[in-house]
Amino acid sequence: MIRQFFERIGLEGALMKQAPFLLLLLMVISGQSLLAADLEALPEFLRSDPFGTIVASDRGSADLASSLYGAQHRVMLTGCRGGYASFQVVVKIRPAGLYTLDVTIPDPSNKVQIDLFREWFHFTDSDKHYYPDALIPVRATYSSRLPEPDNRIQQQTAQAFWVDVYIAPDTRPGVLPGRARLKASGKITTLPIQLTVLGCIIPAEDVVTIDHNSYGSSWLAQQFAGSYQRNSDHWFEGDQFLELIHTYHRVFYEHRGIFHQLGYGHSGKVGPEFAPVLEGSGRAKHIVSWSLYDRHYGPLFDGTAFSTCRRGPRPIPFVYLPINPEWPASYEFWDEPGYETEFVNVVSEMERHFREKGWTHTNFEVFFNHKKRYKGFPWDGDEVRFPKDLKYFLEYGRLLKKALPPDTPVHFIFRADVSWNMEQQFKILNGIVRLWCCGGGILSFYRYAPKMLCDRRDLVWYYGGPPSVTESSSAITEFPLRAWLWGVNGYVHWLTVSPGEDPWFHFDGGQTALVYSGERFGLTEPIPSIRLKIQRNCLQDLALLDGLKGRKPLDSLRAEAARSYNNSTLDDWWNPRPALADLPSDQWLGSAIEDAASHTRHALRHPAASAWYNVHQYALSLQAEAK
Amino acid sequence: MKIVYRIVLTVSLMFAMLGIPKLSPDASVDMERELDAVARIGSVMVDGDICQKIVTQRAKELMFASDPRDEFLAGDNYDVDDVSFNAVKKTLIRLSHLASFPADVNLWMPIEGHPGKIQLVIRNKNEMSQFWNWGELYGDMVPQMETVLKTGRRVTITSKQDWVSVLAPVHNSLGDVVGLIEAVSRARADTHENVK
Repeated sequence: MIRQFFERIGLEGALMKQAPFLLLLLMVISGQSLLAADLEALPEFLRSDPFGTIVASDRGSADLASSLYGAQHRVMLTGCRGGYASFQVVVKIRPAGLYTLDVTIPDPSNKVQIDLFREWFHFTDSDKHYYPDALIPVRATYSSRLPEPDNRIQQQTAQAFWVDVYIAPDTRPGVLPGRARLKASGKITTLPIQLTVLGCIIPAEDVVTIDHNSYGSSWLAQQFAGSYQRNSDHWFEGDQFLELIHTYHRVFYEHRGIFHQLGYGHSGKVGPEFAPVLEGSGRAKHIVSWSLYDRHYGPLFDGTAFSTCRRGPRPIPFVYLPINPEWPASYEFWDEPGYETEFVNVVSEMERHFREKGWTHTNFEVFFNHKKRYKGFPWDGDEVRFPKDLKYFLEYGRLLKKALPPDTPVHFIFRADVSWNMEQQFKILNGIVRLWCCGGGILSFYRYAPKMLCDRRDLVWYYGGPPSVTESSSAITEFPLRAWLWGVNGYVHWLTVSPGEDPWFHFDGGQTALVYSGERFGLTEPIPSIRLKIQRNCLQDLALLDGLKGRKPLDSLRAEAARSYNNSTLDDWWNPRPALADLPSDQWLGSAIEDAASHTRHALRHPAASAWYNVHQYALSLQAEAK
Repeated sequence: MKIVYRIVLTVSLMFAMLGIPKLSPDASVDMERELDAVARIGSVMVDGDICQKIVTQRAKELMFASDPRDEFLAGDNYDVDDVSFNAVKKTLIRLSHLASFPADVNLWMPIEGHPGKIQLVIRNKNEMSQFWNWGELYGDMVPQMETVLKTGRRVTITSKQDWVSVLAPVHNSLGDVVGLIEAVSRARADTHENVK
């Protein structure tokens, strides 16, 4: 091997005699270069793998890398107040070794704050590659070594960090210097940073509500098994458990989202923390204890659960009620006087309790999630396919009306998650259902619907699921953008807390997770993900864009955002009404729906990693114009 | 000590292999006795003719259908006659009240033309069953179910730790065994299981 090397560089012969010396020299020289330590900044949309290469799905936008740098290799950040500017730094060390990273933007007024996160590299079984997603909070000065011991990646030479720069609403506009500094291999590498704080303030209110849904609580015991096992007999009634639920609400709230936890199963079993305790039957049925319910929900309904948040305390805007066909009335009495009596009496008690507590800022959702295929009840509450099932909705509408005082300040809202049959439900359940959560594919056939529903003061969300980490970094932004372009009020990620059996070393891609348990890192709370951060930053931009509608027509803002995003037109975001829309919904075929949605699927497929960067630049350019 | 250890180990293994329930003996016996009574009464009270009307013809025809472009074809076409369903479900709920502890009574029915397969047709509010794998439209019939359907005899099953199920036949007006009920409970209730 050494001989071949010398032959190749033409040093065979006499010099071969000096081989031992030359070899030593070579090792020293190469050692110098191999001991290199480097610090690189990347925009939020370019994700690095553990070897310092941009992941394949973002690589098509690799030219974005230079967008972050100004003169003298300075990282140039620009942000509005009341929100975050984000970027990434990548530590590269060859060979393995110790390092210390610190990132600072000193601000004597403490209005500008830095949150530093180490990015976890997940190995995805589907394509046998590493992707960063989970974000482990670390101190602004972080010391470790490569390969990172807990991530266990042989030959790891790069560690990426997510940097959130929080800019408080009352920060003084101007320029702040900062730096990222790496100490490794006996040398210090510094990357200068310049933060420009613009005068604009990101509206506190979001233009679209992004919901992060979940089911029950048993997953918490699995994901925080250490905590659960220490007190398994009483864990589900303990303060630690309830506080853990609150931390989930907080992580989504801090990322401009909301969190839902459905508290009952498909046959009506209600988790104890989701409902007051009932006793009796028929006329005698009543609430005997609010204790656990109030400990769970009280801080969420009065906002005190969020008192430590940067966004400030605020009551949660939406919550599922435990109401289902088996609660509070027993299904044994369905269609009998006893069912009505039990339902009306208990729901009336609930209204009274909420009113007396002053919980009047939350929408309490009456929502039926069951499907008949799960064998609990004979009608579909979720995604009605058979029109005959609608009579049950009408009956619950009647019962609810009877239970609630007409002038109640408590906001009960009847919600329906609709797909096949939505067009008929919009008509038949007009005035009963006020929150429509629509399947996105089918809603795309009915371009008239958002305006029609919003005009009658209904709320309209649509639903889907998070993109896999294997998709481009901007894929997560398609959902909020679509909601805004469509003119609907929100979007629901149907499941966001279920990262699979082994997200750390055998990841399923994260299509049911946007947060992870922090327990393996010694934390008693969830940790966020890159996708959640990018979604938050997208929501900031949408709020900014929408805030300009007084100066520019909303349609023109939307059209330009769509063009910036993926060179699409607003028409591309809708499908033509298909012939099947005029058939009864129980005659539709799933494959026909897929065919009918092919226009949007082709027009919008695979947004590039740079897609949201372009919209962000558009939003910032409008701010400059407005100034 | 070694001998004592071996004896304990052998006895434990024997118990495990025999499937003897892990409940305390008294609790187990009481629970089995009560559930057996529920199942026995259920066999008389549940109307097999009505049970046979619950699952619609369309649902039966498409239960085993598959389409690579339509992952949920069978589930999306699952449908029931709600009048029959409600009538039987109410009976099952009332039967469960006969037990002095939380219990469910579920209805299972074989699927015509598909020997060895069975479907859960009605579940109840405690969401308990020893045999239902969450979410499945139909499943494989366990041998004890086959025994009930063939012989019309009740069978008690305690093979799953903490659980007791008593399976009992459901007859129609012709005297045929057309289904079975599962009277089920568990010694230690899991208040969060299946809340999803």
